[in-house]
Amino acid sequence: MEFAFTPEQEALRVEVQQFIAENVTPEIVAELEDTGIRRRGPKTREMYKEIAERGWIGISWPKEYGGQAGSRIDQYIVEEEFARAGITVGGAGSGAPAILAAGTEEQKQEFLPGIIRGEISFALGFTEPQAGADLAGLQCRAVRDGDEYVINGQKMYTTAAHYATHIYLMARTDPDAPRHRGISIFLIPMDTPGITVRPLWTIQNDPPAPLGTTYGDNRTNETFFENVRVPASCLLGEENQGWYVGAMGLNLDRVGASRYLISIQRDEDIVNWVKDNDIEGYAMREDPALRDRLADMWIEGQVCRLMTMRSMSIVETDGNFTYEGSAEKVFAPEHGVRTTETIAQMLGPYGQLLNGSEDAIESGVFAHNLMGAFQSGINHGSVQVMRDQVARRGLGMPRV
Amino acid sequence: MNVLPAEEELMVKNAAREFLDAECPPGLARAMEQDERGYSVELWEQMASLGWFGISLPEAYGGGGLPVTYLGLILEECGRAIAPVPFHSTATAALAVVNNGSDEQKQTILPRVARGDLIMTWAVQEQDPRLRADAVQCRGEVDGDSLVINGIKHFVDNFSAAELVVMAVRTAEPTDESAGITLCIVPTNSAGITETRLTTLAKDSQSKIALENVRIPLSNVIGEISQGWPATSEMLDTGTALLCAQIIGAARKDAEMAIEYAKNRVAFGRPLAGFQSIQHLCADMIVAVDGAQLLTYEALWKLDAGLPYSVEVSQAKAFTNDKCQATVRSSQQIHGGIGFMMEFDLHLWYRRVTAWTMRLGTSFEHRARVARSLLAQPGRVRLGMNIEAVA
Ligand SMILES: Cc1cc2nc3c(=O)[nH]c(=O)nc-3n(C[C@H](O)[C@H](O)[C@H](O)COP(=O)(O)OP(=O)(O)OC[C@H]3O[C@@H](n4cnc5c(N)ncnc54)[C@H](O)[C@@H]3O)c2cc1C
Ligand SMILES: Cc1cc2nc3c(=O)[nH]c(=O)nc-3n(C[C@H](O)[C@H](O)[C@H](O)COP(=O)(O)OP(=O)(O)OC[C@H]3O[C@@H](n4cnc5c(N)ncnc54)[C@H](O)[C@@H]3O)c2cc1C
Repeated sequence: MEFAFTPEQEALRVEVQQFIAENVTPEIVAELEDTGIRRRGPKTREMYKEIAERGWIGISWPKEYGGQAGSRIDQYIVEEEFARAGITVGGAGSGAPAILAAGTEEQKQEFLPGIIRGEISFALGFTEPQAGADLAGLQCRAVRDGDEYVINGQKMYTTAAHYATHIYLMARTDPDAPRHRGISIFLIPMDTPGITVRPLWTIQNDPPAPLGTTYGDNRTNETFFENVRVPASCLLGEENQGWYVGAMGLNLDRVGASRYLISIQRDEDIVNWVKDNDIEGYAMREDPALRDRLADMWIEGQVCRLMTMRSMSIVETDGNFTYEGSAEKVFAPEHGVRTTETIAQMLGPYGQLLNGSEDAIESGVFAHNLMGAFQSGINHGSVQVMRDQVARRGLGMPRV
Repeated sequence: MNVLPAEEELMVKNAAREFLDAECPPGLARAMEQDERGYSVELWEQMASLGWFGISLPEAYGGGGLPVTYLGLILEECGRAIAPVPFHSTATAALAVVNNGSDEQKQTILPRVARGDLIMTWAVQEQDPRLRADAVQCRGEVDGDSLVINGIKHFVDNFSAAELVVMAVRTAEPTDESAGITLCIVPTNSAGITETRLTTLAKDSQSKIALENVRIPLSNVIGEISQGWPATSEMLDTGTALLCAQIIGAARKDAEMAIEYAKNRVAFGRPLAGFQSIQHLCADMIVAVDGAQLLTYEALWKLDAGLPYSVEVSQAKAFTNDKCQATVRSSQQIHGGIGFMMEFDLHLWYRRVTAWTMRLGTSFEHRARVARSLLAQPGRVRLGMNIEAVA
């Protein structure tokens, strides 16, 4: 066991921090506040190019696709520092890891360098009105027709669909096969005829959540597919193997820097706030009951960090997850929710003030978290489903 | 950064598990609860021959010279097997000699510990059990070339079995420079000591010690007179991290017993393991023990790395206390009525884990130290950063 980063990795972290200090200008921050962290405005896109030129995106990817064939831990460090500044540099949702693992040579060439340059991004088309946690129940159909597939169906909560260049779509290709064995994945340009995107507004829409809010998205979408014709080359991996191709990407999505920060950023924020701020002479940092809760939160935050490091250690040593990713996806989101609620009881009436309100603390981020944090226990594998996986994969218990 | 145990570490851990699986059945812990001596001499000697007691002692004094993480991994396995031996107290006291003892003290003590010829323990707590310098009231007075001790020491592990006890006594009132504490080595057979055995939840060996004009040579003082609080504190932190290892070992075994039980016990026409509420309870047990284990490993690793470690130790103990207690309680829940029966073994783990959570610092004490240190840290704090502990 080794609980420190190497000196080179610490130096990389400092280098990234310096880049952020120099390049994430107030204008960029204003743009991010406007677009939300996932979407890139023109100024952020310019900066993203510079980040890519430094070789900081897709560090662990092979060189022939624009990566550095470097360490997954290095990549984590870069992702964490940017995520702390409100900038997502991870890649493109579940897309990139799955393309790396299952894509054809042409697909790797087509997508990976473009992802690195920030020119290609994916919306995730998994969830449907009748298939959420129980994703394998999805009904969106893709029918082979000569050299093409014809797609019909509806996807829900396709968050990036209104600005992504592509959708990473899970669809049913064999309705007669057992549920998990009739699913395929497609990489489809969003401007393909027959795709319609309709907004779904979230409870964060008004007022807009400040940067750094856990699930501060004001908008997601529903996406409709009506006789959408795509070339067969859009298929990722083999036909009917999509469940397994998708699972690879999802596992990697459940762990890592942005997931970690979603769960713990509040721990650091509240401790730093309490350290430096009094309310008219009322110093929360001196209240023994609050100190006990602060320490409790902090310790749980450390567990989130260590579980993230465990997952990174497994990835870096080419190990396989049995249940560890799922365990982390139970503990960390629930921790984030507990923290959010504890902070509410620390701040009292100030804790309910939203962005823009008179006397809102830190732009109301703590109040906005109360509208978003619980969502982290649902997305990308709900905590109930994750517990099922821990019990079944980790502990050998039967399906219910 | 690789938080997974390395291959060599796993080899040591697995070998320890194999040995204990074969040589330390639960019946041994049960038998030792009734035993006057309180530990298995035979098991102790076997462990000695495997080199366990010296594994993290310096090679120059007959030890294996491996990082304290190795000792932690072995104690984790001893916890798993609830091995009835005075290993933890011996290791804690011996490491205090390693870290702060004189060369002479090391020469006379450590090779014997490594061989298994010397059982040790430590004594800091008193009637006021808080682990802080101002709760230490037992007096030591220098008289010529002796230290004369008067007072009470409480909750001392394995006192009857031990030959030496590393003890914190008050030799001066606290000042800005010093807490006034002296750490010293006291033979347990010294004239003037009266021992009262305590009856604990774990039914292991703890005692209350009365010291009346107990005289030890000044050469038994570890470090300088009245300058011993940092060494005491280091001993407590080391002992705490090692105790966490023991607790997580026992708690994981306890959880595994519940998981096995749930797979075999049928109710409502299927195994208990087929009910989601039982599955989720089991998942939570494993997630909790995993978390405690990661914190504990980090604390053990930091003890060796020359980095601040006290906050990590407190993090580990506070979390381990709460989560491992919850784990063994859930295990009782899953076992239904049978877990309450003397004849069934589960309570051997339940009672130990529960008792151990109350030793070497409660969750409240440890969280208070985390909060104190965190809030005193200059500048912005960030998870994973090195934080200096505030006493
Ligand atoms: C803001 C936001 C962004 C999103 N972005 C995307 C995206 O970009 N792409 C995408 O594809 N999806 C996205 N999602 C969808 C998200 O992944 C789903 O919400 C999630 O999978 C849960 O599905 P559901 O909402 O239909 O809830 P349901 O599946 O109906 O679940 C409801 C509740 O039932 C519980 N439950 C379900 N099954 C079980 C069981 N077997 N045992 C016990 N409890 C169970 C769940 O844990 C949950 O608590 C997003 C959602 C939101 C809110
Ligand atoms: C001290 C003591 C005194 C007692 N006195 C009496 C007495 O006088 N007379 C008498 O008849 N009995 C008595 N009992 C028995 C007591 O009522 C049983 O222990 C109790 O009914 C549970 O049964 P069990 O121990 O077989 O556990 P089990 O039924 O095996 O249950 C084990 C665990 O599985 C859980 N479980 C079971 N089914 C499900 C499910 N469908 N979904 C989720 N979880 C489930 C239970 O909640 C429990 O946590 C006594 C028990 C004790 C310990």
